[in-house]
Amino acid sequence: MPESLLTMLAPIAWPAAIALAWIAGEIAYRWASLPRISSYGIAGFAMAASQGGFLGDPSGEPVAQMANFAFTLILFELGYRVNWGWLWHNQWLGVISVIEATGTFVAVFLVALMFSVPQTPALLLAALAMSTSPAAVLRVANDTRSAGQVTERVVHLTAFNSILAVIAFKVVLGYWVLESAGNIYQAIWHSLVVLMVSGGIGTLFGLAVPALLRLTRNADRNATVAFAVAALLLTALTHALNFSPLLAALTFGMVARHHRVGLSQAQRNFGALGDLLTVLLFVFVAASLEWRHVTEGIWLAMAVIAARLVVKATTTTLLARLSGIGWRKGWLTGLALTPMSVFVVLLLEQTRHLHAGMLDNVAGIAAIAMLLEIIGPIVTQSALMLAGETHHKEVI
Amino acid sequence: MALETFKAGTSLTMGVELELQLVNPTDFDLTPAAGDMLDLLARKPFPGDVKPEITESMIEVSTDVHTRHDELLTQLRHIRDVLVVAGDRLNVGLCGGGTHPFQHWSERRIFSKPRFNELSVLYGYLAKQFTVFGQHVHIGCASANEGLYLLHALNRYLPHFIALSASSPFSQGADTLFDSARLNSVFAFPLSGRAPFLLDWAEFEGAYFTKMEKTGVVKSMKDFYWDIRPKPEYGTIELRVCDTPLTVERAAALAAYLQALCHMLLERNDPPPREDDYLVYNYNRFQACRFGLDGFLVHPQTNETLSLREDILATLRRLAPHAAALGGGAALDELQNVAAGAGNHASLLRRTYANEQSPLAMVDAAMLHFRKTAAP
Repeated sequence: MPESLLTMLAPIAWPAAIALAWIAGEIAYRWASLPRISSYGIAGFAMAASQGGFLGDPSGEPVAQMANFAFTLILFELGYRVNWGWLWHNQWLGVISVIEATGTFVAVFLVALMFSVPQTPALLLAALAMSTSPAAVLRVANDTRSAGQVTERVVHLTAFNSILAVIAFKVVLGYWVLESAGNIYQAIWHSLVVLMVSGGIGTLFGLAVPALLRLTRNADRNATVAFAVAALLLTALTHALNFSPLLAALTFGMVARHHRVGLSQAQRNFGALGDLLTVLLFVFVAASLEWRHVTEGIWLAMAVIAARLVVKATTTTLLARLSGIGWRKGWLTGLALTPMSVFVVLLLEQTRHLHAGMLDNVAGIAAIAMLLEIIGPIVTQSALMLAGETHHKEVI
Repeated sequence: MALETFKAGTSLTMGVELELQLVNPTDFDLTPAAGDMLDLLARKPFPGDVKPEITESMIEVSTDVHTRHDELLTQLRHIRDVLVVAGDRLNVGLCGGGTHPFQHWSERRIFSKPRFNELSVLYGYLAKQFTVFGQHVHIGCASANEGLYLLHALNRYLPHFIALSASSPFSQGADTLFDSARLNSVFAFPLSGRAPFLLDWAEFEGAYFTKMEKTGVVKSMKDFYWDIRPKPEYGTIELRVCDTPLTVERAAALAAYLQALCHMLLERNDPPPREDDYLVYNYNRFQACRFGLDGFLVHPQTNETLSLREDILATLRRLAPHAAALGGGAALDELQNVAAGAGNHASLLRRTYANEQSPLAMVDAAMLHFRKTAAP
């Protein structure tokens, strides 16, 4: 193809990719009941330049900003759905969360060492593996209109382990900076200050937006658009200042929730806006991955995925009855916590300013992200269906 | 299946059934949590009975048989506390209220049980529309004929119960202008309404039930959705027009009101019921549903137009000695307060909406009212 034609076509690459991924998602959903987001991932990966496709490396491009916005919306919704009061009434839930997250950290760290991964990347990998992908969990739960104990617990445990993962990640990062640069101030800045300021910005938004809605007597109607606009602003702001958009968005949702300015059920996923951005998000994430890196780390990836699944599912199963549900629903909760890709890729993308190419350097992470981008949503969807919590066709 | 024998028991015992809403505390919409709640509640003895209802966002509790208001209230509070603790463990909110203000019927799921599945097939969308929450009060009868007598003698007082219990002003996201929109969902069923005017059990069985059974339309008393129906296997009559109030205190008070009323009716000082009483029945019932305590009713025997509020207050005064005899004075005081000024729970919910401009706030308020012990 002549170079000039390629240049001409470049601006339509992303819209075309989104269109193709969307079509793939709908077809696979109709014919194989495959979660749409799995198809978006497969399509995105196949269309990436590193796989011979037409999508250039998206990191650092404007489309990355859009993907971050998409993820902010999801994290806001996740935060919004977290009821901290539940932890108070059911302390076993907190125990489950702490054990499954720290257990995963330790197990994955040990697995990484067994694969001769150096200490710092092994710690980073362990921190990332703690998290469950909020994007996959919420999309699957919302698409299947799932509701019940497994769904509620997966949503809460995902929020908690995502927060723990960000904290662990930033602390390891701080430790790394301290080790390599020997600068204690820079180290503290990268961990503690970033965490606190990000949370602070989120809190500020969480207080200001509902107050504004109440002031304009719009609490009922325009809440969804208002929250989306605020999320857009929050993404840009935290990104520009190099704080953590992830943490800020989660805090935003958690604080906003307590003001009873409702996101109605119809507006789950932020409606059509959320649907559109989800295609972009999952294509973006998969397009960030390179086949080369995926194949390199495949064995480590499988070992990490297995260790992670064992720790999470064992914890949720053993503590199921103490926390008020049966063994079976406990086991399905652990299973549904499998996805992790989007969270990890965006977290790495957002720390690019520190050290480019970390996605390549944390061994095995590309392979884990790729495998779980496809398998994760399928596992979550199956778990929710087995738990009988998805909306199924009835007489009417 | 023939009509069961009426198991006559002690007059004026009472029992209460409450259908309750299961709510997600995040979006305040109904949530299909009945299965998880029942699993958890099954681990310990329950202070009464708890069972599923037609859709998965409902749960029904019932008390034992009581003779005194305070004992009934104690058990209802105990039931409430056990439910609230279980709900807290599962992140499920519970509340009363005859309707959920903004749930969409099509989102509901039928609780998987043969009878509910059959009803869903037969009634189509009416089955899911039936995600409304009522209070049923049983009154024990010494004989089947006493039951039929009370059932018809109560016709003139039925609007009282609708107006006092009304707690369903909103439906499917909008203000209906009704105080009890719930009953409109009940009226849609072909076998709803009132029982045929028969005062003799043998006649009821032979001239009505057996004929109906032969038509194939009904199999048991359960298939009738009447406002008041006899429940032969319990030896009771069952009043079914009340919305589930927001508090168990109000629920107990309504039961005690019915008990005192039956106590008075059994003295047979009121003129006996007549078929013609039912000429104004549907009109009076509509007035109570639509306007609550501000409605007007037509006295079926004098044709006099009465303010529903005044009629309730007058009845409460007449009932004072009867309630005193039964130990239900406190219950009547609560209802006196409702009728004289405080208003029913429909008006409480409307006030909440007016203050907060959010339908979610109504559910939030309902959940708070349910869990706290209301001031006496």
